[in-house]
Amino acid sequence: MSENETVSSIQRSPRSRASTRKPKVNQIPFGVLLLLITIGMGIMLNIQSSNLALFFITGICFGFILQKSRFCFTASMRDPYLTGSTSVTRMVLVAFAITTIGFTAIKYGYLQSGLPIPGMGYVVPISFATIIGAFLFGIGMVIAGGCASGTLMRVGEGFTMQILSLIFFVIGSLWAAHDFEWWKFHVISKGKPIFLPDIFGWFGAVIVQLLIILFLYIAAEKYQKARTIKDQQNN
Amino acid sequence: MNEVVLDCMGEACPVPLIKAQNKLKELALGDLLIVQIDHSCAMKNVPEWARKEGYNVEVEEVDDGEWEVIIEKTK
Repeated sequence: MSENETVSSIQRSPRSRASTRKPKVNQIPFGVLLLLITIGMGIMLNIQSSNLALFFITGICFGFILQKSRFCFTASMRDPYLTGSTSVTRMVLVAFAITTIGFTAIKYGYLQSGLPIPGMGYVVPISFATIIGAFLFGIGMVIAGGCASGTLMRVGEGFTMQILSLIFFVIGSLWAAHDFEWWKFHVISKGKPIFLPDIFGWFGAVIVQLLIILFLYIAAEKYQKARTIKDQQNN
Repeated sequence: MNEVVLDCMGEACPVPLIKAQNKLKELALGDLLIVQIDHSCAMKNVPEWARKEGYNVEVEEVDDGEWEVIIEKTK
């Protein structure tokens, strides 16, 4: 947030200027304590199984980055419409590009060594279920004030309203798991799954996907510029 | 010069932004809008929107996890 310093200081009446402010509690001791507990838990999990420790560390890192970067998948879809800013949208696109390369590398590695490719169970056909699901999810995340990762992150931050979201998020997930068989049998299984490397080859698939992401990135940037000009003219 | 305080404590993400957008329309030139928020997401999108519109913006962390976004209606 270096921008804060460059913006000229706004004069406020001294009365309102945080006269109610409480002295802040120094959080560094808590941080050190938490770090020690995290390391301790990591070591304990490592004794049980090294996989568990790896999952734990990955989860902690993911949460930390999510919180510090204010990364929000909801905002990436909503802000272009509401504020005309596509910075989060572009952030998500960059993340997609990186994961595309990473996942391809993992899958290709398994293929080369003759092992079954991991994660192929997630290659499922596009169907009406996708559209219906996306629509329902969109409504839900705007009301709940966050998608799955955002809700979890903000529960950790101490935003009490989203503890409620989390409870219903769990209930909704269970309900979805209960009904999933019906959807799978009646809707999803009707389509044909498409795995890009089968069509374009492994190298081609990466190139095609990255080109699509690049195109979306450029479109997002163009959109933001156009919106900024339009919004400022309207004022 | 008026100062208008908009209480958005406990409001989840798009709500503080929409409230700020609507409130700012009612204000006169030179007025200050102080948006009180405790949702970390709004801490990002409210200042971003206001800066993009060309207003002066300041963010102040008044308490742990509570912020005041001060927007000056400059035009």
